[in-house]
Order: sequence, then structure tokens, then C-alpha cells
Amino acid sequence: MSAPDSPPAMAARNVVKKFTVGGSGYAGLKGRIGAALKRATQEKKIVVALDNLSLTIEPGETVALLGRNGSGKSTLLSLFANVMKPDSGEIAFPASIDPLHPRLSPLLEVGAGFHPDLTGIQNVYFNGAILGITRKEMEAREESILEFADFERPEYLNAPVRTYSSGMFIRLGFAVAIHTDPEIILVDESMAVGDEAFQQKCFAKMDEFHAEGRTIVFVSHDMNIVRRLATRAIWLSDAQIAADGEPDQVIRDYHKAFGIPD
Amino acid sequence: MSLLRPFLLQTNCLGRYNTGMSMAENPSQRPLVVLRPQRGKASLNLLEIWQFRDLLTTLAQRDIKLRYRQTALGAIWVVFQPLLAAGIFSLVFGAIGKFPSDGLPYFLFAFAGQLGWGAFANTLTKSGNCLVQNSALVSKVFFPRLILPFSTIFSTLLDFGVGLVVMIFLLAINGINPGLAILATPLWLLALMALGLGLGLFAAALTVSYRDVQYILPVLIPLMMYATPVAYSLSAAPPKLAVILAANPIAPLIEGLRWSLTGRGTLNWLYVAYAVAFTLVILFLGMVYFRNMERRFADVI
Repeated sequence: MSAPDSPPAMAARNVVKKFTVGGSGYAGLKGRIGAALKRATQEKKIVVALDNLSLTIEPGETVALLGRNGSGKSTLLSLFANVMKPDSGEIAFPASIDPLHPRLSPLLEVGAGFHPDLTGIQNVYFNGAILGITRKEMEAREESILEFADFERPEYLNAPVRTYSSGMFIRLGFAVAIHTDPEIILVDESMAVGDEAFQQKCFAKMDEFHAEGRTIVFVSHDMNIVRRLATRAIWLSDAQIAADGEPDQVIRDYHKAFGIPD
Repeated sequence: MSLLRPFLLQTNCLGRYNTGMSMAENPSQRPLVVLRPQRGKASLNLLEIWQFRDLLTTLAQRDIKLRYRQTALGAIWVVFQPLLAAGIFSLVFGAIGKFPSDGLPYFLFAFAGQLGWGAFANTLTKSGNCLVQNSALVSKVFFPRLILPFSTIFSTLLDFGVGLVVMIFLLAINGINPGLAILATPLWLLALMALGLGLGLFAAALTVSYRDVQYILPVLIPLMMYATPVAYSLSAAPPKLAVILAANPIAPLIEGLRWSLTGRGTLNWLYVAYAVAFTLVILFLGMVYFRNMERRFADVI
């Protein structure tokens, strides 16, 4: 797939990410004044989302992240996508080939940039700009995007997105994101939505990306999707890697730990 | 432009990738992007905003498209709001209060003040709210965060442009020629919006952790307006009070804009110099504060 001396597609070295809960949230100012009045120190709870985590993802791998809600899967994806910064440690990856080729498609949340009051078409262009595609490039891709989204009722393309069903929303968001031609695809629990036919289409697209040697990192709670797509599974638990390896083996360990029958 | 640009820029601001390497197809020959925790002071890196100008204009267009959606009168509100305000001011301060207005019709006088105030207050409000309003973007997609507050200024500029057309129309029907002073209009506008943006940057960064700001601003802004010679003239105040009022850096800028738009009134250049210096300091500090807070935006928003 790639030369032996080629650097990993994505590497995390001793990454620590902590969140402060309560201390600097919305109740912060009130809490601080209250604490000052009581002459007590404000209670801050530090939650360690990722604890000294090291991980190397090779080019061409399709990696599934497993774990309970709150185990740090989304935090890890956010760090890869450069949305969040590590508290210590580092994230490294090779820079993109050329400026017109997005290296990484942060499908963190499909349609994250969609504005409810813009129409579907307007959002396609807007989302494209957020993901780094110029209007001209988007024009060339528009037809293909709409074909992939394949709306049952195309008249909705010119209606505000707030009138969309959640399935339509995901379809359009997914269609835009996969048309950014990324080298690394980060997907956060969005493939399980949409009807069966659309899901199959998404799987086919993922297979295509995989065949092209692109790297995919996705979060899923649907073990059928994991078995279907992943070449490697990583189970995150208590801010650390609990298991890393063959999807089938990791799923078995994961299920055993929670007493879920396979 | 592309998604890659964020990453190249990111490395630029961290200064940790080998420059001058060819972007080869083979990943082993590509520079390595390393994301590490930012320590110490963040650099302003205004170049980023230029490099992300596509996103800047797209966000600005979206703002303009979205405004006045689902309203019956639509864009007419752009004209209506300042006209309505000027009407009330000329009634209260002009007809009832009999305030001096540099020899201008009070309506015209108040409208000019309102145009300037609108430019300042709208910039402050919109840039102050931009992060919270776009929280889905901030927490899910990487881009230089400064793009968001900067993108809000365009719709305010458009409002001012429309207001200016109404202003010229009002000047014409009143037979008032502002003369060459009108050429300085963009400078006053720039200063007013820069001051609004500077304060808005503080507000935006603070709002991420303290939503309280969202409740304070709508109360504070109208109060600030009455402390600013928008609906009245500095010359209407007793000299001792005028000095105190001029300590408000918005005051000389509003008076200056009104001088440019109508050609009437006198300018105290000392006050103006103070206001401009204050504006530059606030804008600079606002950007520094915003850049230093932004690393935590996605964590807490």
C-alpha cells in the first residue's frame, strides 16, 4: 500500500486531554462570586478524557473507535481534526499533497455547518467553503453531490434545511463531506442514520475510499458497521486504549466486558 | 483554497514544519504537521484571515442572506430602524427638549448620529454573539476563529451604505451641502467599527464561558448610547460636563462622523486623537485576548 519508510497517516504521542467540568461553564461567574462570598475555593472537577494516549494509524487503514459514551472517542477525533488542542503530547500527520486537495475531511458531525434557514443548495456551497472548497470547485461537484444525496423529493433542495427530516439532513451533509476529496476521513457516528439504501451507498463509498488507499477513522456503536468496514478496531475505555487489533477480536473482548452476547 | 490550508497555516503559526520541502506524492517526502499544546502568548497571525478570505466572504454573504428572513418588510428594516430612531430623538430632544443641533433640522442631526451609532453598536453586538451563534461550527470544524467576528462587519457595512443613501437624500431635500468634509466619512466609519469590533472580540471570547455577556450587552448598549452624543450634541452640554462626556471614546467619533455628513459642528482634534488611540489599543488588545482564549473555545462552548 505504501512504502515501508512512509510516515503514519496519523500519530498521537502521549496525548493528554482534560476538561474542566463546572468550573468554567456557564455557572462560572456566579460560582466564582458565590465562592468568593463564602471564602471557599471554587470546586473544579477535572475530567481526563484522554490519558497519555499513544496511537499510530497507518495509511490505508480503516480504524473503528469503540467505547462507551464519554470514553474519549469524539475527543480523539476532535484532536485529529485540529478542532481541539491537546493539553500535552502531540498529534502528527503528513501535510497535504497540494493546496487544492483537502487532506482531511472532518465529518465529525455531518452537516455541522448547515444553517437551518439556508436552503439545501445554499448550504452545499456554504459547507463547501467551510471545508475548504471554493465556489468554482463546488459548482463542478454540485451535480455529483446532489446525485449522491438522491432526494426522494428534489423540490426540498430549494427549501430551508430546517424543514428537512433528519434523514434528508444527513444525506445532504454526508454527500458534501465525501465530495471534499480527503486523504483522511474522520466520521463520528453518522453512518447509522439514513435509510438502508443510503447506508449501503455510504458503505460502498467507504469501500471505494479504502480501495483508493485513503485512511478512515470512524466512531460507531453499531458492531455490524464495524465488522463490515473496519480493518482495525480500537476500544477506548477510561481515557486509555483497552484493546487494539482485529475488529472481531476487539468486539468480542468489548462485548465480554459488558456481558453482551455476540 | 482547501481544507489543507488550515493545516498549513496551523503549522505556520506553530512554526514547526520544515519549509521549502516539495509537496511530493510520497507522504514520506511531505512535511510533517505537528499539533502541540499552545503555550504562552498566541501570535496574532492576521495573515490567516487573508488566506481564509473565501470563508470570510462566504460567511458574510450568509449573514446578509439570512438577515430579515421570515419578516414581512424584509430589507426595508435597514432603512426603517434608523429613521424611526431619528424620528423619536427629534421629537424628544428637538421638539420637546429644544436641544441645539448645530443649526441643522433635528431629524437630520439625529439621523446622522444614529448612522454612526448603528455602525458601532451593530458591530459590537454581532461580533460579540458570533461564536455562540456558530457554536456548531466552532466545535466541529477547524478554521481560524478570528474569521467569525471579522465576517460580521460586512452586513453592518451594507446597512451603513443604505443609511448613507437615505442621508444624502435627506441632505438634498434640506438643501444642505456638507462640502469636502464628507470625504472623511469612511475614516470615521472605520474608527467606529474598529472600536465596536475590539469590544466585540472581548465580548465574544467572554461569552464562550460566560453567557452572562449576552444578557449584559443588550442593556449596556442603549445606556451607552445616552452617554454618547448621538441624539444630542456635545456642544449642548455645559463645558465641564462636556469634558466628562468626551472621555467616552465613542463621543468624538460620532461627532466627527456627523461633522463629515453635515459639514456642521466643530471638532476637538485632541478628543479625536484620544478616541483613535483608544480604538487602536482596544482593537489590538481585543485580538490578543481573543487569540489567547480561542484554544479553549471548542472545549467549553
